[in-house]
Amino acid sequence: MTDTIVSYLANFEPFKSFLAFLTESYGANGPTIFAFLIFLVAVIIVVGALATIGGLGTYAERKISADMQARMGPNRVGPYGILQFLADGVKMLMKEDIVPKDADRFLFFIAPMLALTGVFGTLAVVPFSSGLTLTDLNVGVIYLVGIGSLVGLAVFLGGYASNSKWSMIGGMRGASQIISYEVPVVLSILAVVLLSGTLSFGGITKAQGGWPHEWFIFHNPFTFLGFFILFIGSLAESNRAPFDLPEAESELVSGYHTEFTGMRFAFFALAEYIEVFVLCGIAAALYLGGFQVPFNLGGDTIWGQLLQLGAFFSKTLALYYLVIVIRWTLPRLRVDQLMSMCWKYLTPIALFNLIGVGLWMWLFDGKSLFTLLFKSGAAAAGIH
Amino acid sequence: MMGLASYLIISSILFICGVVAIMARKNIVAILLGLELILNASALNFIAYSRFLNNNIDGHIFSLFIIVLAAAEAAVALAIVLRFYQIRESVHVDDATQLQG
Amino acid sequence: MFDLILFFTSAILTVIGAILVVATKDIMHACVYLLVSFLGVSGLYLTLGADFVAAIQLVVYVGGVVILMVFAVMLTGGPHAQKQNKFGIVKTALMGNMRTYTVGGLIGALVLLMMVKLYLSLFKIYTPKELPEYLPTVERIGKALITDHVLAFEISSVLLLGALIGAAIIARPRKNRIN
Repeated sequence: MTDTIVSYLANFEPFKSFLAFLTESYGANGPTIFAFLIFLVAVIIVVGALATIGGLGTYAERKISADMQARMGPNRVGPYGILQFLADGVKMLMKEDIVPKDADRFLFFIAPMLALTGVFGTLAVVPFSSGLTLTDLNVGVIYLVGIGSLVGLAVFLGGYASNSKWSMIGGMRGASQIISYEVPVVLSILAVVLLSGTLSFGGITKAQGGWPHEWFIFHNPFTFLGFFILFIGSLAESNRAPFDLPEAESELVSGYHTEFTGMRFAFFALAEYIEVFVLCGIAAALYLGGFQVPFNLGGDTIWGQLLQLGAFFSKTLALYYLVIVIRWTLPRLRVDQLMSMCWKYLTPIALFNLIGVGLWMWLFDGKSLFTLLFKSGAAAAGIH
Repeated sequence: MMGLASYLIISSILFICGVVAIMARKNIVAILLGLELILNASALNFIAYSRFLNNNIDGHIFSLFIIVLAAAEAAVALAIVLRFYQIRESVHVDDATQLQG
Repeated sequence: MFDLILFFTSAILTVIGAILVVATKDIMHACVYLLVSFLGVSGLYLTLGADFVAAIQLVVYVGGVVILMVFAVMLTGGPHAQKQNKFGIVKTALMGNMRTYTVGGLIGALVLLMMVKLYLSLFKIYTPKELPEYLPTVERIGKALITDHVLAFEISSVLLLGALIGAAIIARPRKNRIN
């Protein structure tokens, strides 16, 4: 736990003197308690911001799809309809909370909570900037995979508890899809771990640079493939089209959340949109340089932090836009196509990538393709 | 700070729960749940001893292998349960009488 | 302070989850309680400074084993189909008898006494000493796995491959023999 919000703040002189003052006036345990309070505030800020982003995601989805289909999209509530998600949220709150007659009430109650817990749990390790990371766990990658799979369980339990055939089929599809696509995703994450030699997101991001040629996606041909495997797998893990089989509207009414109303449905929807954001952020941090800014502009000052936040969010939101465009472009796969794509194509390619990255590390001593080409070109031209 | 004994008590509670689940349940999946509890109890013991007694990494390695074994065991056992259900249309242990003489 | 809070939360989660796994009738609920118990055990690993094992516990149990269990419960007919088996045996012969309760209580008391005896000796032998700092364990585990324990590591990979293939072969659908 090296670079967290607390340790970042602790480097500032005024903050140190403030802490010393508090320690003198309130007793010996001042720094610990205030570190905890600052952490709490940071957590609340991050969760609130991400919930807002999740809400705005629904708006962005409707607006972008409207744009692609030459419609207007929501345009009544607020300027350009941007407050539509608030109106939707209020509507959800006011709705009647229906529990189907023979539903398993306990599981029906716990499934949306599990989905939201899993997604908010992943926020703990997302590297927003070098200062604003809630905690830079040294096993961050594994933690993210583990906590993220709570969502799969929630999808399954939601489908099971509803006691409806549509929900059941949706839940089964969701769970099998999520645990299957975890394999290629984890394998392509492992390739990056192999390159950077660390499991923490901060360390992986710092192993890359600000310029595109220093990103892991352009490190060598194998990682170039690996990024696309990670991205496709992330699409499938977050149940987005073209892999939205668990909630296929035209086959199952609405899949695993058919029977959910009001707040519970809102939890599922919010969890889905935040999960898409988190997975895009993870893809950006692992392969696209994350928060790294060219020339390390701004350094450790507050402006540097803002630039890093800007870099992270621009990459992530670009991927988010791509996800939405893909949803409104591609048709949905069949279940057998989905499974054969995972097990017969993505997993072997990901394994091949992992071996390829290992070979690359061994042959070229971990140098990137760009370095090799540039260095050999310079050597051939006689320049040092 | 918490001592070794508190961890051992927790792991013994886990272990007893697992044994009771194995003895009292007739559903094969429930028996597997009890088995997972027992494996967790032993892994917890290994890590507790490795922190409080000699602080080397071997306890962690043992726990990792226990987790690996538990995963493999769960996969194979559940496959057997599914197969058994296809054949006998039941997951009751008392129905598994085909190998009796 | 923080360690204490984490320890007590995890311990309560672990124990309550484990007891509810045994106590609840519905096996689907038992799976969810098992998940709670595993999360608690993961927290306990964290208080013991085993960060890597805690994360692996999350991945394997939360992401793998519990979902597998839930799948198996659902594919075998759910909780309602299992109240009684095909031959109508709901409970074994002596269950719920006065004699059973007596013998069970005696055995329980015996086990409890044994445990108390064991733990008392443990309390006497064990003297608390200065505990080491929490150190990252990932690198040490990695080195140990490919130096001292490399044979077990390789064998476990073979075991996993065998389990994968075996599970796939055992659970594959039977071919319909149409005569």
